[in-house]
Amino acid sequence: MAKMMWRCSVCGDIHYGNKPPEICPTCGAADAFVLTDFDEAMKIIGRRTGPLDSKEKVVASWKDFAERNGAILLTESDEEIDMLCSGVLENLRNKGFRYCPCRIPSGNQLKDQALICPCNFMKQKNWGELGECWCGLFRKKEGRS
Amino acid sequence: MSEKGQRLIWFWGKECPHCKQLRPTVEKLEAEMGIKLDHLEVWHNQENQKIMQEYGDVISDACGGELGVPAFYNERTGKAICGYKISLEKMRSWAEGK
Repeated sequence: MAKMMWRCSVCGDIHYGNKPPEICPTCGAADAFVLTDFDEAMKIIGRRTGPLDSKEKVVASWKDFAERNGAILLTESDEEIDMLCSGVLENLRNKGFRYCPCRIPSGNQLKDQALICPCNFMKQKNWGELGECWCGLFRKKEGRS
Repeated sequence: MSEKGQRLIWFWGKECPHCKQLRPTVEKLEAEMGIKLDHLEVWHNQENQKIMQEYGDVISDACGGELGVPAFYNERTGKAICGYKISLEKMRSWAEGK
């Protein structure tokens, strides 16, 4: 099923998915989402959040992601974080997305979405076998399966 | 660079920490066997990326489903190995076509 864009008629929250959320995660309104389109959604979202285009912002997003997930840790190596972040930002400049610097995009944007960092690494073979994502940025917390 | 079809290729990426980590093992293999692998950087070099994509299916399989670095491809045997936990012994077997 193709994903569509939905707008909360109460607070303007935008959701992109197969179906509208029953409860708005921002304002808590029930059954408030209505179908919208790209142009309207982008006008509502605007540029308020600003781009994730600096090392500080990208690393902060990784830290926040890891802290909110009880099963993962961000690598403790500042050198690795620094190098991987440079690669991710290089990809943003050259290829338009924050792709993993240890994976190679195919040029098929739909397929390559799976390579945007952080990717869905917990489903990957490497996570099961070595307890880390392919590039080693995220590691499994000890004691977690 | 060796003749096409005979190459032992190391695909690596400039920002890949594991490629950096693996480089001493690659250099040890080269010194030990008296050979030189073709070091093809694939993040910034589009031509090298095309070469990697030519062998995409085999390399993807070795890399757990997607193209990744560090990856090694032996043109003589059509065999690929991938990942940073590659020992010198494993690399030697790959280079010797075992």
